[in-house]
Amino acid sequence: MATLEIKDLHVAVTDEETQHAKEILKGVNLTMKTGEIHAIMGPNGTGKSTLSETIMGAAAYQVTQGDILLNGESIVDMPVDERARKGLFLGMQYPAEIQGVTNAEFLRAAMNAKRADDDQISVMQFLKELDKNLDLLDMSEEMTERYLNEGFSGGEKKRNEILQLMMIKPSFALLDEIDSGLDIDALKVVSKGVNAMRGDNFGSLIITHYQRLLNYIVPDVVHIMMDGRIVKTGDAQLAKTLEREGYAGIRDDLDLDVALVDEN
Amino acid sequence: MDAVEQTMDAEKLTQLAEQHQEPEWLIKKRVAAFQQMELLKYPKVLRFNYRNWQMASNQLDWTESNVKLVKSDLADTHLLQLGQTTISVNLPTKLADQGVILTDLFTAVNDYPELVHQYLMTQAIPTDDNYLASYHAAFLTSGIFLYVPANVEMDEPIKLEILQDSTQTSDFNTHTLIVAGENTKFSVIQQMNTVGNQDNLANALVEVIAKENSHVSISALDQLGENTRAYLQRRASVARNATVNWSIGMMNEGDTVGNFETTLSEDGAQANAKVVAITKGNQRVGINTGIKNVGKHTAGDILQRGVILDQSQLVFNGIGDIIHGAAGSESEQENRILMMSNEAHGNANPILLIDENDVLAGHAASVGQVDQTQLYYLMSRGLSQATAEHLVIRGFLGAVLTAIPSKVVRQKLISIIERKLADGHEDK
Ligand SMILES: Nc1ncnc2c1ncn2[C@@H]1O[C@H](COP(=O)(O)OP(=O)(O)O)[C@@H](O)[C@H]1O
Ligand SMILES: [Mg+2]
Repeated sequence: MATLEIKDLHVAVTDEETQHAKEILKGVNLTMKTGEIHAIMGPNGTGKSTLSETIMGAAAYQVTQGDILLNGESIVDMPVDERARKGLFLGMQYPAEIQGVTNAEFLRAAMNAKRADDDQISVMQFLKELDKNLDLLDMSEEMTERYLNEGFSGGEKKRNEILQLMMIKPSFALLDEIDSGLDIDALKVVSKGVNAMRGDNFGSLIITHYQRLLNYIVPDVVHIMMDGRIVKTGDAQLAKTLEREGYAGIRDDLDLDVALVDEN
Repeated sequence: MDAVEQTMDAEKLTQLAEQHQEPEWLIKKRVAAFQQMELLKYPKVLRFNYRNWQMASNQLDWTESNVKLVKSDLADTHLLQLGQTTISVNLPTKLADQGVILTDLFTAVNDYPELVHQYLMTQAIPTDDNYLASYHAAFLTSGIFLYVPANVEMDEPIKLEILQDSTQTSDFNTHTLIVAGENTKFSVIQQMNTVGNQDNLANALVEVIAKENSHVSISALDQLGENTRAYLQRRASVARNATVNWSIGMMNEGDTVGNFETTLSEDGAQANAKVVAITKGNQRVGINTGIKNVGKHTAGDILQRGVILDQSQLVFNGIGDIIHGAAGSESEQENRILMMSNEAHGNANPILLIDENDVLAGHAASVGQVDQTQLYYLMSRGLSQATAEHLVIRGFLGAVLTAIPSKVVRQKLISIIERKLADGHEDK
């Protein structure tokens, strides 16, 4: 069993123009174990992406206080690639496009990155795994010979993130708005991929703005985040309550003084 | 440019050529070229100052190279030269029977005088093209002649392996003359390397005469050594409805001026020129790649990609020249440089000289650093920074690499690139 602990995490970003540091996360606490699916919901601009990017190690986010522990070991000073090799994966809201490098070639390199030099995956093994996952995600083989995300539609990019997840098999997947811009069929496919990963060796932190995704990937724990903090934690039912009452309702229930960009 | 101190004169040059059993017309050509040198200028490479480079000498020595230094791969259609010595030639009988000629240039001047006289530095690169071309004609040391008569098509590429012999001090003025007759179709792989590490100059010219409706593809892999200062000039003259495609991997280790040009002389001629270069250490490289549209409905496409490491300098000039009357022509170019070090200097300059209204012309140019969001993405999947950078660079060069017709050359180029990236130093 693997664990991911976020302890009193404070994160700041520096505004490029003014050079002022702005605090985005203001003390986040969260503990998860493999075998669990957690969802984080919250209004726009509240710091959900900041949390996932900080866990992964994006350079723009400075940890000013608190800690992130993976299996008890602090990772805040670890480079991104090392965090990945230790079992973290971030399904990005906006995956990068890389010309000249095929999807298949990249997938193999990523799978091999975690493995010892004398234990690289064989071509046969790789193709077998790839075919199985392409099938499950209803993706054509042709996608794997295309350059990494180049010219992919929004939906194709999201599917491709899930394909990578299934091939790399991390301990923890942070999935940031994996549902945005997806029609209902694509949403079902993406959910199927994540559900196929569920098990004792996999945990996921699913970030979403809408409850809809959680009908397909039923979470064990739901956190509501507002203004850089987790303000409420509950079970799957909490997402439904939120759907009914909206973020404003939750805010008022909790008597919080938070301005919402998009009251709904 | 300072004139070279002259200890050579017309008489001495004549003697040297006679000693070399050259025909009279060639001797005259040498002497005329020698005499016009001082009237000519070095080729201009915009934004690249090489004024203080010594690029010519006044020596002409006939030397023998040690054939034991290299071994040749006799299976392919090829010609292998080390310095002034031809090590091996292999031309299948079937091709020889069709009239194909593949031979050392000095054998050709005696065996096929009319052909060589007609094409050698007359049409593609005339001797008065510039100072260094004229110097080349006067001080020619070695060369290759490839003649493909009309209607001959070849499936297998012809390999021209040209080795500079730097186990000794000697000038290296090597000339490759390729004549593609009407309706021919073939490809050539030219590889240049240096054996040994003496400080030497290299002045290598390639002329391609592509006659009506011929299709010639040339892949060049330049790998001259660190202690070689090189002038490379390649030029094709392309006739009606003919096509010449260049893929040039400029992988020299030393300072280099590259001057690549294709003239689309007649209607319907086409060319594309793909150039990839990597510079490292203190290396300085300036490259002009130009296509000149003369005939109507001609099309030229230039694609240059460079990666610069350490304190090196790379200048890419893309020159699209459409003359008045070349109606219905196209000129496209893209020149891009990726900086892997803050101390490296890159310039990518599109130069469009358009003197005709009815044309399509486009250009793009950039000098930039590795995209950090791409690196982050790759590293977030566990790839090390070095691997991620190599993939991004490979992707950046991909547009040129994938266009190289020969898989062997492509693989070879990729492995040279990988080695250069591993040797060079990057900083962030
Ligand atoms: N890289 C960054 N540079 C500057 N500001 C940022 C950056 N990332 C996020 N922010 C700011 O942090 C706040 C939270 O953003 P984000 O974490 O993207 O919220 P969410 O994902 O919940 O919508 C916003 O005000 C946003 O403008
Ligand atoms: Mg977000």
